[in-house]
Parts: sequence; structure tokens; C-alpha cells
Amino acid sequence: MTPSVGRSVPRPDADPKVRGTAVYGVDFEIAGTMFASLVRSPVAAGRVVGLDTTAAAAMPGVRAVITPDQAPAHRSGLGLSDQPLFASPYISYEGEPLAGVVANTLENARQAARAVLVDIEEVPAIADVGAALADGARFIHTDWASFTPVPGLPDWRRYGNVCGELISDPGGVDEAFELADLVIEDRFEAGRQYQAYLEPKSASAVYESGRYTIHVSHQYPFNVRDRTARALGVRPSDIRVVGHHIGGGFGARLDVSLEPYAGLFARLIGAPVKLVNDRVEDMLSCNSRESAVIKVRSGVTRDGRIVAREYLCDMDSGAYATDTVFLISIPMFVAGSVYQVGPTRVVARAVYTNTAPSGAFRGVSGTYLYFALERHTDNLARAIGMDRRDFRMRNLMTDGQSMLNGQVLSDAGILETAFDAVEEMAPWASLGVGPNRGVGIAATVWLTNPAPGQVTLKLNEDGTLGVITAATENGSGAVAMGVRQIAADELGVDPSDVILTMPDTDGQGFDAGSQGSRTTHIVGRAVREAGADLRRQIVEAGAQLLEESTEDIEITDGMVRVKGRPHRRLSLADLAKGAMFRRGPLAATGSYATPIPKYDPESATGMLFPTFPTPTYHVHVAEVEVDPHTGQVTVLRYLVAQEVGRAINPQGILGQIQGGVAQGIGHALYETLEVGADGRYRQRSLEAYRMPIAPDVPRVEAALLEHPDEAGPYGAKGTAEPPIVPVAAAIANAIADATGGSINRVPITPEDVLEALDGAQDQIRGEEE
Amino acid sequence: MKLSFNVNQRDVTVDVDGAEPLLHVLRERLKLTGTKQGCDEGECGACTVLVDGRPVDSCILPAGVVAGRQIRTVESLAGPDGQLAAIQQSFVDRFAIQCGFCTPGFLMTLTALLEENPRPEETEIRGALSGNLCRCTGYSTIVDAALAATGDDQ
Amino acid sequence: MEFRSAESVDEALAWLTELGDEAQVLAGGTDVMLQHMRREITPSVFLHIGRLDTLREITANDGMSIGPLISHRTLATDPRIARSMPALTEAAETVGSWQTQEVGTVGGNLCNASPAADTVPPLLVAGAVVELSSTGHRRNMPLDEFLVGRRSTARRSTELLTGISADAVSPGTGETYLKVGRRSAMEVAIVGLAVRLTVDPDDTVTSARVAVCSVAPHPYRATAVELILEGSHMEPDVIAEAGRALTASASPIDDARASADYRGRVMPHLLERAIGACLHRARAGRKGL
Repeated sequence: MTPSVGRSVPRPDADPKVRGTAVYGVDFEIAGTMFASLVRSPVAAGRVVGLDTTAAAAMPGVRAVITPDQAPAHRSGLGLSDQPLFASPYISYEGEPLAGVVANTLENARQAARAVLVDIEEVPAIADVGAALADGARFIHTDWASFTPVPGLPDWRRYGNVCGELISDPGGVDEAFELADLVIEDRFEAGRQYQAYLEPKSASAVYESGRYTIHVSHQYPFNVRDRTARALGVRPSDIRVVGHHIGGGFGARLDVSLEPYAGLFARLIGAPVKLVNDRVEDMLSCNSRESAVIKVRSGVTRDGRIVAREYLCDMDSGAYATDTVFLISIPMFVAGSVYQVGPTRVVARAVYTNTAPSGAFRGVSGTYLYFALERHTDNLARAIGMDRRDFRMRNLMTDGQSMLNGQVLSDAGILETAFDAVEEMAPWASLGVGPNRGVGIAATVWLTNPAPGQVTLKLNEDGTLGVITAATENGSGAVAMGVRQIAADELGVDPSDVILTMPDTDGQGFDAGSQGSRTTHIVGRAVREAGADLRRQIVEAGAQLLEESTEDIEITDGMVRVKGRPHRRLSLADLAKGAMFRRGPLAATGSYATPIPKYDPESATGMLFPTFPTPTYHVHVAEVEVDPHTGQVTVLRYLVAQEVGRAINPQGILGQIQGGVAQGIGHALYETLEVGADGRYRQRSLEAYRMPIAPDVPRVEAALLEHPDEAGPYGAKGTAEPPIVPVAAAIANAIADATGGSINRVPITPEDVLEALDGAQDQIRGEEE
Repeated sequence: MKLSFNVNQRDVTVDVDGAEPLLHVLRERLKLTGTKQGCDEGECGACTVLVDGRPVDSCILPAGVVAGRQIRTVESLAGPDGQLAAIQQSFVDRFAIQCGFCTPGFLMTLTALLEENPRPEETEIRGALSGNLCRCTGYSTIVDAALAATGDDQ
Repeated sequence: MEFRSAESVDEALAWLTELGDEAQVLAGGTDVMLQHMRREITPSVFLHIGRLDTLREITANDGMSIGPLISHRTLATDPRIARSMPALTEAAETVGSWQTQEVGTVGGNLCNASPAADTVPPLLVAGAVVELSSTGHRRNMPLDEFLVGRRSTARRSTELLTGISADAVSPGTGETYLKVGRRSAMEVAIVGLAVRLTVDPDDTVTSARVAVCSVAPHPYRATAVELILEGSHMEPDVIAEAGRALTASASPIDDARASADYRGRVMPHLLERAIGACLHRARAGRKGL
């Protein structure tokens, strides 16, 4: 049997997906279900002074109107317990749930939800971090000091509208700036990006025998369990979460959204309940990628060395802390992981505003943090008159150097290999040549999420291999390709004989969800652990059935054989059948979590996300053309060199790269949720929120660089998340090159492009005078 | 109103509000849930079905207008023996599916395109797909799958 | 809500007489359904006219007659339109997606009266006249009088748009529609511009028509610009002056798509490009004789 690892094996879920038979969360219904709709706040800030449900309760098909007094009043959250189920009485963002309606159809529930009369005393919204941090700014939560971290987390420094703060100030930074020949300072801004999965969020729940069963399409069912338990004030084991096909997640389905409401309503009315977001409420309430303001200052020497740096970042957490208190650690990794930078000070804050809570989106924070870093890197090179690529190569991290947290990057030399790989695809000097054309390059280091997972492998009596895991197939192929192919090779069976389960937190061991490209690496490794155990059991059973000693038994090509006597053999099916009533079913469980790398806990305060385990290395090159009159940008070519450890399914990884680059192009050029002065989003539909369409996205040219990781299954590292990370940086640098001007924010609008062209003209005129 | 039309070679009569979106009739009343609801405003194309062979966004098509018409949904593509249509098989073989939620819509638009023009160029394919959003793939494998289904590969 | 599907124009007109404002005429329904689903309109009856095949005809003689139920897709692909009104072909190609082009109609586009209606500028430069019918009465009206404001037309609630006539391009005439958006397609125009120029053999402009959308409450003919171009040889200073006049004629707003300043800034460049394209086509058309 040819090993399947390393081959591009088509995915098994493709068949139901092309037939239209795959059941997604929104398609799933519990028999007899009722439907619910949330009454959401129309304003960003204010106080509920009246809630009149009379009219709504009398509407057709209405079963119940759920008011805040029927819900637990306590706050809960992902890191910080600051979020109530219903705003009562204080409203902190537009779209915040105020009440709920349960009816016999979704339409009736929605109509009745609109009929709930809410009397609100509106107050001026705090719409951005600048306003939230201004002297004398109103506190978004007057009782912020009473909020507590979730169980297990120590508290951290918080004050007023700042719900998290990371400070890394190792000493010697100001002195190092003194040694610089030039100090360059830049300021950048990044807009919110909506994950815009095509399947709107939904949740179905039933409450029976004191337990809640929740059906959902979710990246992290065990977090649904834990977060719903905290929100409802019950034990995690009181909740069972069953996963269905996921219509895209990209980080937006890592925290809970509708699930606690589904559970609560199901218990209150004594019948199953399903909630489905319409697209508008999905956009309004989604934990989109946070907007941010970044200031970077670096000292350089004339010969092209970075000797000191300061990297400051304020992230808009929205109305609640959610992920952002973790994400404030990322600037520390971005500021000092790709280039050798000298002493560096990093200060990053998570700031409350009257906007929807922001959160995880593929390449969490890294997309815009590297945009800022790499735009700044271009500016440093330009300031000392050095080629941008040469300047980067000169300062690249090498094997064995440490990041700002003290963690050693033993294999950072791969960065140089990646620069060489893109050069081989298209020489730097050959790109961006011609009027209105430009080229940009960006390099990044990204992590593989280390969080734990577990797999049980069972050998079925027909010789097929069951893979029992709560790992989620979010579309990336990590389960459908990665886990499946690794499992197939454990016993040498064909991948078509591997049977994957859908997630069920009652039936499977813990899994930390599809986040940070962890599934192939972590769950794949757990498969290998389980596989070793299962093979041992198979050998023992084979020895028993074939009446040989275990040392003489081998497993090859899906058969159990006696070494040297190929005719003495059993198929795995016969072995499993034979073993069943002699020694019991054959199954084994494997678990894995990446050991936390060594780091210096003293390197920063407020560091809730302290390491960057299993790093991977990336170089992207973008070539663009700008229209000098309209400012429109065309991406002509896009090159990627991505280090993957080992490619389990090369086509699968190339699909992640092409898709990640497309999302990155959206982030760089089109997509933003702008917040108006009233705290409300200006983009409120997919018409206004522009995602790249087929004619906008070039065919990405990619090279996969294999440097097998010791711990990863067959050397695999995380591959699916990082392709989005360098894109905004590479494109912004290309546009800056094409225009000769400054590009200081994403998304880059045609107006920004024209402004950059104007700026370049002014500069030329200035130099001529 | 009583509404009669033909869906996937089957005559059906349903009692609906004529202003109800066709998508709702297909999914909720006829249980044809392969057609997906993504945006309810004709932007994402996940709800694309063919009406008399032409692709339309069923989420913003009033059901009343399809009286007497022929509707085709993703469920009609595979043969009666279950064999995948060429464009479906091409999607499977070319890795054109990730989360798959947009897939039925893409398949229907491409079915209409290939019936109208059996050998479209890449730019025509991309243009024809402008009304179908895919958030996962970045489109290239979908375009490849369409090119492969033109028959040039066979 | 009641849904009525008319089987004849007379039946539709009778219902409109009966219902007036209570009826919402529905052709393809792309705009109407969105407004209905967003609860922006609350008619008591949807009056479906999509089965009135007599309103779905194109006749191309000296003048063009375009049935109001012609879909954007037909406008974009019909060779008679491409030959006689190429700017309309170009505009229709840019309306939304294939899916919405199949359903959306030119008459619907006119009656919906969006400030960003792509088909309107090409119809304006073609001197389009609309025919409005009610029971026992019929009147014609130039398109620029029909459009009275943002989402507002001169159509009376008992009237149905039953015809659109327009001038075909003649030899020596070239026209084009240019549109600025963010993406390559699926865009509501940030600016849409149609220009139709007739030039004599020495390249003197004998007739100029210029119309824009998305820069005012409704699309309009920029007559001041036309006067500047007519009689000229499209010298660079004339084009520059025309560009300034175009920007001056507009009253754009800031919205989530683009700022007013941006719209004002790109208009002269679009005009310059459009003039170049028109001239090229006018010359090519003459050679074709």
C-alpha cells in the first residue's frame, strides 16, 4: 500500500457537499423544534428603561417572550467574566441581545421580536479606542473593577476602559536608540474585518433530564460546552455539544454566540429551540477582527542594522474582553521574531468601546501587526537608501536566536530559505517594473496552536478504521485530509477505509478546536500515539490468533503476517473479528499537547499568551498595478514560500494558501466594518461589505518548504492559518512602491492610493525646490 | 396562493405567499436543503438555482413568478444512478471544495455556463462566477474544476 | 400579501386603476424583493407583470424600441443592442451578477430610480423616451423628465411603463459607458458615466451627450459639459474644461462606498477616457461604411 501521507488524496466530505446532502448547522433541526429570535439593541450605548412584550406575546405563533429576569444575571466570558447574556439595563454595543422570542416558525419569531417595544435612554457612543482612552472618557463598564477572570486564570492589570495591557520593557531600550544613526517613526491603522463565513451562525438545543444538548456548526465544541456552562451557571458535563458540517469559521466559531440562548430558551419553554442569525445580525454581532492603531519606532544604523525598537498597539476589544486580552501578546511576537531588532519595548492594550466584541479571525492580530511592521521595515530601508530586500536579508533572524519573550527559534534560518525560494520563482528585480507598477515583500513567523487533543482509533470488524475525535473539519481539510491520511498510514489501510466521526463532546475526548492550524499537528500526533498502541494490540491479537510470538508478527498492507512466512496471514478484518470474542474490541486512545516552549516569564507583564510554539516561516511577494486616476489596484502576481514542516496533503495546503491570500487581499483592499460616530457599523450587508470575487483574485504561485518538525506527525506543522498573515503587508508595500507614497492603513482604498500618489508628487516637487 | 411548478423533473403544487422567496419554498416546504441561504440579498449566490435553465438568486425571487416554470437545484445534478455530473466530479477531483457551503451555488452557475458555452475561457468563467462568493478557496480550484469540466481534459 | 400575475397589459392597467398606490409593480423583483424583505415598502399587492411578453421585445430600425421587461442579461448579450446602443450593453454587463442580470429588467431599473442605476446614463445619452400607459391613456416623456429625484419618478400610481424608445448610434457616432467601483464586478457604481459623441470627418464634435450616475440624487444629462464639447476638436484644454464642468455639475455625497471628493476627482478622468473611446469608435464606425 502506498503511504497516503504526502499524497493529494481527495477529501471524503466532497461527495455530500457536491450533492447538497451535507447537513450544516443551519440545516439541522431537532424534531418538534420551536424557533427563536433575539431582540437586539438598535443603539450602541444606553440604558434600557422599559421593555414591553405585550404586543409581541400576542403575535401569531408566539410561544414565549424571554426577558432578562428569566436569565442568569451573572457575567461570563472567554478570558474575563464581563459579558451578560442580556444587556440589562446597560447597553454596550449595537446588536447586543435585550430579550428573546420563541415561536412556531423562524419568521414568526423574527416578526414578534420586532414587536417587542424597548424604551432606551441613549447615551453618546464611545466609537473608537481614541475616544475610549481620552482623558475623562466615560467608562464603558462602570463596574469594570468587579469583573473577574475565568476560573484558572490569574488576574492582570486592568483599568477603566483598558481591559488588558501587555508591557514588555526589558531595559536599555532608550539607550539603544541613542546608538542609532536614524530613528524612524510610523503610525498605522487597521480596520475591522468580518470573517464572513457563508453559513450564518445558528444553534439548536434541547433540554432533557437536566442536561442540555446543543447542535451547532462550530470550530470548538468543547468551548461551546464550557462557555455555555459558565453562561448558564451549570457544570460543563451538563452540556453535550454535537457538531455538524461547518460553513466556514475562520475564528468566528471559536467562542459561543447563540448557543447559550438556545439552551436557556429550550429549558424555559420545555421544547427544542433553534436560533438562526440573519446576515445583518450576524454582521452586527460577530466577533470580527479588531481594529487597531499601531505606532512603531525603530533606530537604524547607516549600514543597515536595526538597533532599537518601540512597538505600541491599541486594539479595539469592543464592548467585552473576549479574545483580545490574549491577543495583546501577539505584538510582542511580531515586533521581534522575523528580524533582529535590538532592545525593544512593546506596549499593547485591549480597549473597551461601544462596538461589537471583536475576537479571533484567522491570523489573529498578526495580519495588521505585520502590515505595520513590514511597512515600517520598508520605510527603514528607504531612509538609509538600501534595497528593501537586502535590508531584510541583512537583519533576518537565524537559527538559535531568541524572540522578545526569550523563546529560542532553533530553526529561524528557514526564513532565508524562504526568501531564496521566492527569488527562484521570480527575481525581485524583475517585478514591479513599469509605470504604476510596484512590488512588495513581507516575511512572517507564525505559530502552531499547542492546545490539546485526543483521538481514539478503533479497528472495526470489517477491517476499517474508526477515528473518534471531537476535532472539527471547518473546511480546511485538516480532518478530512490530514487526520484521515495520517490514520490510514498507521495501519496501512486505504484512506477510503478510514471512518471519521462528527464531534460529540459526550462521546469523544477533549479537543481544542480548529484554531491556529493545530488540528493536523496536534490531532495527527494524537493519532500516531493511538496508532502505536493499536498496532501493539493488533500484533498481540495476531500472535494469539496465528499462534506465534509477538516478535514474529508484522502489520503490512492492511494484513497481519508472520515475518518471513507471507502465507501465514490474516486480514485486518479477520483479525478484528477473531479478536472480538477472544480478547475484546481493538481500540486505543492517544493524546497530545505541545509542550510549552521555554520562555522568560519576566519578559513582560500581562502576557496571557506567552509563547509561539511550533513556529513556521513565510515570505510573500505581491506585484500590483495602480490606476493613477481612479486609484484602483490590480494584483498582478502573488508569490508564496511557506514552510510547512511536512506536507501531508500538498493540494490541501495549496488550497489553504490560495484561500488565505484571497482573504488577505480582502483585508488589504476591500473589507472593513467602519464604525460611525454613533458606534454603529456603516457596512450592514454583504453588498456594502465587499469580499473579493473570482475576477479579483490572482492565481497564487506557491512553494511548500519542507523542514519536518520533530514532534509533528510525519513532521507536519500548522499550515492553514498563516497564509493570510503576510498578505496585507506585501500588498501595502507593493502599492507604496507603485505610488512612491505612504500607505498607512488597511484596507487601502482607492482614495488612499490617490493620496499616496499626491504625496509622492509633493515630495518630488519639494525636492526640486 | 396555490403555486405549481416543476422542480427537478417533478411537478409540485404548494400553497404559498407569492411574495415568499423561492429559496424559502425550496428549503422549508420542499425540503430541498442543498440550496443554501447565505445573505438574503442576492449577493453571495449560495442560493443559486436554475429557472428555465438560467441561474437566479432564489433568495430574492418571489415564488409567485415561477408558476409553470422548470426549476433545477443541486439535488438534480447527479444521475438517477447516483453518478456525479461531470462538474460535480470535477469539483471533487480538483479540490474545489473546502467548507462546501457555497458549492451548490457555484455548481448551478457553472451548469448554466457550460450548457450555454461548453468551452468557456478562464476570464469568462471568472466573470460568470462574479455573483458567487467563496470565502475558503480563493476561487482558483473552482476555476480549474470548471476548466476541467469543459472537456478539454478528456 | 396578495400576489397577482397579469396575463395582459390591459389586465395590469385595470388592476393599477383599481389599486393605485396599494400595488407594487413587480417585474423581475430584484430591487422590489429586497425592499420588501427589508420592510422599506409595504404594498398590499404585488402586481407581477413578468408574463407580459409584449413588453419583452426589441425592435431596431432607425430608432430603438426596448421593451421594459428586457432583462439586463439580454441587454448585455443581444447583438442588436450591442450594434445600436453599445454603451447600454456595457452598462448592463456591469449590473450586479449573472444571477441578478437574468432577473432584473431595464424597466425595473428605470422605475426603481436608484441614483446609481447603470442603465440610465446610456439611455439618457441615447435620448430615451419612456411610454407610460394607464387604462385608456398613454403618454410619452423624455427619460430625464421621468426621473425626478432619488428613487422618485413621474410615473403616476395608475401608470405602467410600457415602452422605451431611444436613438441608435449612427455612423460617425461613438458611445461608451465607464464605471468606477472597488471590485472588478458586483459593484454599485461609485461613478458611472455614459458619453455619446458624433464627430464629422475632421473630428469636429457635432453632437455631444454626457450623462452620469451615482453623483446626484438621480442620474442626469450634463448639458453644460455637452455644450463645451460640441463644436470643439477635443483639444486637451477643452477636455480639461469639460472635466471641470462635469465635476461642477455634480452634487455627490459621502457614503460607505466613497467620498464626495473622490467622486469629483475621478469624473474628469473618466470623461477623458470615455471621450477617447467614443472618438475611436466613431472613426471605426465611419470606416465601416
